[in-house]
Amino acid sequence: MIVVNYVAAGCVFCIGLFAVVARRDVIKIVMGLSLMEASTYLLLVSMAYRRGATAPLLSNPPSGQTQRDVVHGTVSDPVLQNFCLTAIVIGIAVTAVFLTLAVRVAQHYRSVDAADATALRG
Amino acid sequence: MTNDDGLSRGFRQEPHVQAGWHRPWLGGPLVLAVGALILVGVLALPRENAALPVIARHAMEIAVPVWGQAEVVSEIVYGSRGFDTFGETFLLLGAVAVVLTLSRPREPRSEYVGEASEGRAEQRRLDPDEPESGDERKARQAESGEESETRRIRMSVVVRVAVRTAVPLLAVASVYTAAWGYTPGGGFPAGAAAAGVVLLVYAALGHRAVRHVVRSAVVEPIELAGATVIVALGVAGIVIHGSMFANVLPLAQPLTILAGGNAQLYSGAELVEVATGLIIAIFSLLGMGRDWTIHDDDSQQVPAPQDEDQ
Amino acid sequence: MNVQALLPLPVVIPIAGAICALLLGRLHRRLPLLVGIVAMAASLGVLLVIASRVLAGHGHVITVYFSDERPFSGRALGIAFSADPFGIVVALLAAALGAVLLTCAMSELGHLGRRELGLLACLSLLMLAGVIGAALTDDLINLFVWFEVAGLASFGLTGFFLEQPTALEAAFKATVLTSIGGFVIFTGSAMLYTVTGALNLGQLQQALPDTVSHSIAVGVALVVCGYAVKAGLVPFHAWLPDAHAAGPGAVSAMFSAILVDLGVVGLVRMLICTRLVLPRLGDLLMWLGITSGVVGALMALAQDDLKRLLAWDTVSQSGIIVVGFASNNPEGIAGAVYHLANHGLFKALLFLSAGAVLHATGLGKLSELGGLWRQRRVLTAGFTVGALAISGVPPLNGYASLGLIHQGIADKPAVHLLAAIAQVLTVAALARATYLGFYRPRAQEYEHLETQHVGMRISLGSLAIGCAAFGVLPALIVPRIAAPAASFVLFTGAHAAGVTTGVTTLPDLSIPAGLPGGTDLLTSLAEVIIGILLAAAYIRWGEPRPVGWLRRLHTGSVNDYATFAVAGLVLVCVTLLA
Repeated sequence: MIVVNYVAAGCVFCIGLFAVVARRDVIKIVMGLSLMEASTYLLLVSMAYRRGATAPLLSNPPSGQTQRDVVHGTVSDPVLQNFCLTAIVIGIAVTAVFLTLAVRVAQHYRSVDAADATALRG
Repeated sequence: MTNDDGLSRGFRQEPHVQAGWHRPWLGGPLVLAVGALILVGVLALPRENAALPVIARHAMEIAVPVWGQAEVVSEIVYGSRGFDTFGETFLLLGAVAVVLTLSRPREPRSEYVGEASEGRAEQRRLDPDEPESGDERKARQAESGEESETRRIRMSVVVRVAVRTAVPLLAVASVYTAAWGYTPGGGFPAGAAAAGVVLLVYAALGHRAVRHVVRSAVVEPIELAGATVIVALGVAGIVIHGSMFANVLPLAQPLTILAGGNAQLYSGAELVEVATGLIIAIFSLLGMGRDWTIHDDDSQQVPAPQDEDQ
Repeated sequence: MNVQALLPLPVVIPIAGAICALLLGRLHRRLPLLVGIVAMAASLGVLLVIASRVLAGHGHVITVYFSDERPFSGRALGIAFSADPFGIVVALLAAALGAVLLTCAMSELGHLGRRELGLLACLSLLMLAGVIGAALTDDLINLFVWFEVAGLASFGLTGFFLEQPTALEAAFKATVLTSIGGFVIFTGSAMLYTVTGALNLGQLQQALPDTVSHSIAVGVALVVCGYAVKAGLVPFHAWLPDAHAAGPGAVSAMFSAILVDLGVVGLVRMLICTRLVLPRLGDLLMWLGITSGVVGALMALAQDDLKRLLAWDTVSQSGIIVVGFASNNPEGIAGAVYHLANHGLFKALLFLSAGAVLHATGLGKLSELGGLWRQRRVLTAGFTVGALAISGVPPLNGYASLGLIHQGIADKPAVHLLAAIAQVLTVAALARATYLGFYRPRAQEYEHLETQHVGMRISLGSLAIGCAAFGVLPALIVPRIAAPAASFVLFTGAHAAGVTTGVTTLPDLSIPAGLPGGTDLLTSLAEVIIGILLAAAYIRWGEPRPVGWLRRLHTGSVNDYATFAVAGLVLVCVTLLA
């Protein structure tokens, strides 16, 4: 029932987005963005799934099948798995930058409250 | 003329108030609306009985004959869509450069720099003037290692022996899975695992055990060498076949160490680049000082993490 | 070697330069930026060779597939780079302006620390490579990857001066909002792939069904919102003034002149793909664009900080450019392409002057500046030329491109009126800035007034000459450059044909090229005069109440800015689903 996965991914995305929109602690904002990221991984992997599929691996085919059967049979989508890898790398990169920025902002403003870092307004 | 200069203090009430909620009554309904709209879109997607897209089937068909790889996802990452991976490599390099920029120590500047003087004026106006609170003082002491308890005591014998045993196995295992083509993504997860091994040693055995490995003068050129190999591989494709990242190395039997032509070299260079990049980023984040704020200008820079007795 | 093999080089050369720059920082402090200038010049050379083919005749589209992964029966797994007249204009702008701005950075910032300069050069080159890659690519996921590369590099450049707490705050807000945009683009792109099975944009265009399902509408909406964050459309714009005002002057110029084009490229690619099946997208983008135009100009009028004023003006101009592209007729689109190039030139000129003022005096506020025309004539002249160019004073470049855009929207009276209002407000904002910053007499002498370097004067001079050249030569530019680009954007068949390797020819599109005269000239002069009067009234009587409310709406809290973006997301989704 892949619909359950889709709904779960949507819920996690919304929880993350709510944390970004409604939480003032910068670390909680970063956590919210990590949650949004994780929900995209779940969504991508779920979109790649097919019923009764095997992994897109051509070594050691499952019993009773040859390599040719796997190539033309039911497999989960490898292209979406490639995107998931791309998303994971982007997620690492962005989180590292976020955390460094959070530390620097806290060093200057001496608080982790985003409402204290509102010098640029209007 | 405008009466508000736009740069006065923000909402700040009293210092160090617990950071709480911010208008959840407004954010909540909007986020629920977004959720509902995304669900509407996602539920209309093809479900698990849909056929595989034609290009995915094509990737499966060409994996062994054209690229000599049995792992189709790796074939897409390092073969057919190698240019995307090229972009990602430099995304990671860019992230490492950004972390280095943001965590760099102060350097002397030989001329008047207007932005620095404006910065000092801003700091005087914006950075809070209150003395350090108890929490802040404790955090600073913990960071610099002045506080005695947790920093000076070594990890127990069990931990140290376990780590010394496990680390070679983990390091070899991560490189093995990438070298023989068993992981989707090849160099990426292997590089992350290699960086994790270095962190494990650092956490269990202290900075002295890893200081030769994580020195910036050593790791940075290695990372840039990995990136150069990838660029060279792409350009070789242009020169020989007229198409960037076209396969230039001979194919071998799938699941052997040279399988995949380009893909193995690409994957190996990626491993080097990701591992060293993550190490640079993490250790420069850990070594970040406080010498840019106005209160810490005169104080000593925070010393490097304390060496522990070996 | 044929031209197709050269297509990836404009991206590979800056990236190789970024690697070298990081290595060479250890040797001598000026080497990294020098490497950067050489790399951008080489990239510009290759782009000119490609452009000579692409812009020949009525325009061509040159496509190449990477990894030797050719398309089969109209489907493509491999990644395509396709140089079309629109993309080549953006890429040429990025390369040329990048070279000029890096020269300026080398002369102004050449005395910073060795490590800092190496990192500055590396990040600038990565950002420029990202913009050029996004302009040339024809693949949905590749476009996203270059978007992320350029975005990440820009976060580091925004927070470059670590002693400025406002720079770090601006970098944080930019990172939060751009990351939300990135995740949203990614989700949308993956949804579009799952429904249509297409990654190549030409294939996607052909694969979209005539009746659009909910998932396609939501997917397109998500992708559009993500690129709108980068382009600075209201309500996704709130990070842009903070981020574009932080950072060194040359870097702010790069952001406003080059980086916003990345968002515009994404929006235009989506417009091309969905023109036949989702016509409502064009109307939606037109209204979002014109709202940005008015809001940006209004907020610019009220600013005290000079660079922040220019950044708000970027929001406004970017909105006008998107209006031009969404207008769906030849004059509007040709005007938008022309204005994109012109905006790059005059915004870079203005930001360089403002950055030089800050760098030399340490003062950024209009209320503290003044009287610079006496001691810094070149700076003042540069800023004045830029202000005149934005205001649409003939014979500088703004006049021709704005005239074309206004012609393009002449059949929509409401939008046309709002565009005229936005223009008046822009003139007022820049007139006020020029007077208060440069010509108003100042009582005391400046505490610091550093000398200007030669490199800065050369850059300012060349940009000013560029503004003038682009202004007096519309007869050359419109038929040779802007018309082929408009032809590409309008004739969807040309884009879908890009799925085959090779060279495709574009059909002819004739657009009246001469300098708009007659009533257009009168309208333009009237706008300038009303704008100057409005500026004088503003200086005399201060800020009116509605502008104060608008300013208070931008509270500075990152949560509020994210809320605006989420509200925009809901708006766009609902509009496209209905």
